[in-house]
Amino acid sequence: MNRDELLDAARRAVRAAGGEALARAVGERSVTARMARSRPTQATDVRRFRVEVLCARDGHTGLAVAGRTDDDALAAAARRAHDAAVAAAHTGPGDYPGVPAPVPARGHEGFDTATATLEPRQAADAVAAALAAAAVRGVELAGTWSAGAVTTAIASSRGHEATDVVTDAQFKAVALGERGLRGYAARTAAAAGAIDPAAVAEEAAGKASPAAGDRADPLAGADAAELPVVLGPDAVAELLQFLGNLAFDGRAWAEGRSALSGRLGQRVAAACVSLSDSVRFPGTLPRAFDAEGTPKAPIPLIQDGVAHRVVHDVRSAARAGVGAASTGHATTPGGAVSGPMPRNLVLAGGGADDEAELMAPIERGLYVTRLWYVNPLRVKETLLTGVTREGTFLIEDGRIGRPAREVRFTDSVLRILAATETLTRRSRLVGTTQFYGPRFAYGVVCPALRAQGFRLTGVGPG
Amino acid sequence: MLDALVALMDAAGGRCAYADARWVERSRESITVVDGAIEAVEIVDEEGVGVRVRVDGAWAFAATQELTRDGLEEALRRALALAQAEPRRPAAPLAAVAPARGSWRGPCAIDPFGVSLEEKLELLLAADEAMAGDPRIVRRRASCVAERTVKTFASTEGAACEQAAVECGGGIVAVAVADGELQVRSHPSAHAGDVAQAGWEHVLALDLPGNGGRVADQAVALLAAPPCPAGPTTVVIDSEQVALQLHESIGHALELDRMLGYEAAYAGTSWVRPTDLGALRYGSDGLNVTADATLPGALGTYGWDDEGVPAQRTPLIEGGRLVGALSSRETAGAVGLDASSGTMRADGFARQPLVRMPNVSLEPGDGGTLADLVAGVDEGLYLETNRSWSIDDRRLQFQFTTELAREIRGGELRGLRRNPVYAGITPRFWASLDAVGSAGERRLHGLTNCGKGEPGQLAGVSHGTVPARFLDVDVRPR
Repeated sequence: MNRDELLDAARRAVRAAGGEALARAVGERSVTARMARSRPTQATDVRRFRVEVLCARDGHTGLAVAGRTDDDALAAAARRAHDAAVAAAHTGPGDYPGVPAPVPARGHEGFDTATATLEPRQAADAVAAALAAAAVRGVELAGTWSAGAVTTAIASSRGHEATDVVTDAQFKAVALGERGLRGYAARTAAAAGAIDPAAVAEEAAGKASPAAGDRADPLAGADAAELPVVLGPDAVAELLQFLGNLAFDGRAWAEGRSALSGRLGQRVAAACVSLSDSVRFPGTLPRAFDAEGTPKAPIPLIQDGVAHRVVHDVRSAARAGVGAASTGHATTPGGAVSGPMPRNLVLAGGGADDEAELMAPIERGLYVTRLWYVNPLRVKETLLTGVTREGTFLIEDGRIGRPAREVRFTDSVLRILAATETLTRRSRLVGTTQFYGPRFAYGVVCPALRAQGFRLTGVGPG
Repeated sequence: MLDALVALMDAAGGRCAYADARWVERSRESITVVDGAIEAVEIVDEEGVGVRVRVDGAWAFAATQELTRDGLEEALRRALALAQAEPRRPAAPLAAVAPARGSWRGPCAIDPFGVSLEEKLELLLAADEAMAGDPRIVRRRASCVAERTVKTFASTEGAACEQAAVECGGGIVAVAVADGELQVRSHPSAHAGDVAQAGWEHVLALDLPGNGGRVADQAVALLAAPPCPAGPTTVVIDSEQVALQLHESIGHALELDRMLGYEAAYAGTSWVRPTDLGALRYGSDGLNVTADATLPGALGTYGWDDEGVPAQRTPLIEGGRLVGALSSRETAGAVGLDASSGTMRADGFARQPLVRMPNVSLEPGDGGTLADLVAGVDEGLYLETNRSWSIDDRRLQFQFTTELAREIRGGELRGLRRNPVYAGITPRFWASLDAVGSAGERRLHGLTNCGKGEPGQLAGVSHGTVPARFLDVDVRPR
């Protein structure tokens, strides 16, 4: 469905709802191609849409989602949303302050016509190019190429109407070399044409085929260790995305559950760390507005190591009290139970020319390409555990050394940022490739960094 | 809709080696109460058709919500175009299956969509109220969910079947904070509660209001509990955490697509190889694990999987030895198995089927009750309710935390311990399985958040488990 059709559906849904209401209509076209064991394994072409209708009554909300756009389906969804809000309101006044007032949104450069109209052959060609590059390097390849366009239309009973069309493309490659060595590389951009699948495959292959050596044990037989670490951008982004959820959720902050509850204005990271949520920073995946139609504002989260702000949707801002306002970070109309989230994190780059310069002062340490299966252990301390995956190396005598066995880390993101010594000058976008439900691409723009005392708590066998 | 799918498959017959089509209609209602306020009432209705084709060995899939004859034909054309764009390669044989015919319906005594919103809210607010009172409880959450799925399936091999299921469940969570410490307690399980293939009767049986006070009290008590001691020790693990342990370190590891390397790009591979079938020792003699898609009331129960293979019961591990794997028609054919174990499932109409574990269960042993298991421990720990989980992409090196631990001394449960963490290596851990609870302790635990595939797919799965005892487990400080 195109922009006009979706906006029309959103308008009709609001009309059907009658009272205070907001509707978000979202249409998606996604093409995904996957490969494994050096051959294509999956190709999918998904076209779907949905209309979410939010009704608000006496500070309570009801949300219903329709999978059709005919008047009957929209009226049914509006009725169910209304009934839910009314039933909730029987318990007394709620804390939802009402659908946001109309605020014009700015345009952005997150749309690429070629990506929005791509043909199936382009997915197959991307996979073929990557496979050919891996074959030259003599490694087995797995990976995923995906591109899509998402159109969003918002209408509300307060007269707000807005539309946004964005595109994104992602390619990731997992190379499997000799002796079980594995490498990883990935790129994300707003335009499919900005990604060179062969180059990404080459980069992954390079990490899976180092000159020589069996995999070393970074713990050297100990149960635990603390090592200097260089985290590549993919690893940094994973940690920052968790930090975004654990520290900058304005609702958790207001309820005392956030890692930054009571700590705004305090030093929480090294002075070289400046983190923001910047929807228009070069290289991000921009959005004109959030799930409630509120334009996304750039927010300094950590400035020169000092915690500054958290992000809000209208519900969390109301809960936070005087002075708080939505910053355009709602993930669901009415605000998600999990709270608002930053989705355009940007970690400012530092002074190092490249990762090699980051490694230079390290006599013995660890280089980590990416992290896997990360989960929080203690949310108020941003203490996480996870494992390294594909592309873990020892740093020996200031240079990348032997490939290392995958290790488990158990460490606090804020501690790592407090122990960060320097970062590379150049950053890149690290996007998520996972869409559980409708396509919603987001990512983190970040450099690689060097930190002291990365806490390792286990090593995998073999 | 079945007639439309059959007609579509008739039209597909001469244009590809194989095709199937699924129409899926799904209605979902979720209600959340937080801190005495109705936080969210969400109702989702969606329907659509997914068409899967195979051309010269290449699979492709297209999804649409345009359910007219032209819309379905367009989806078929898009799938064919995708498949034809892929390089030609030899088509591995698909394991044979008789065409699925007929209909199947899951159990549901009280239709949750027939229960008024007011009645549901009343129950959740009562549960919330039961958790209130102590100022150290900073967040109370009570929720319930209901989902109804109706599917029809047709294939170019003559399959034409229909099935319907209702899932329902709920849970409560209390979060306590004091002096920089945060503790969580849940009932009846973590991960938003327990869900079953059942009606509203399942939520009533969970007795959320009746457990609210205990949950809040334990969350507060954990704030002041001593930290869990570290070091190798004997642990008795409750059936809920056993379910997650089983899910992560056995269920996923025995998905044949992972074992074959097909999921290396995202979910990962497996430490188990196809050649290990029939030979690998996975754990101690007491380890008996079964995959069963016919288990009444379980989330991974169905009439046929999403490529028309009948639901079945498959032994995976017998007496500690690996005897089976979770397969599809393609993966079964790839390793020379005669038949698929019927585990292909898709998350709604817009996702293509993947190998997904059905209900993977730890068969009861002769260890008796939980008290009997504890009685056999002179010094150790009892661990209850999952809080955090992490495992590598080969399903080999894991670390889990639970909400609560209790010290065991002299065969009896003693005081609370907070922040327990345990870690291990899959075959070593299961080799340390010392005693398995008896059948009277068996519970079904339904998880709804099992993720796999790209684009991402969630699947529901239940695990029938009993409490179990493990020796020399690596318990860590956190």
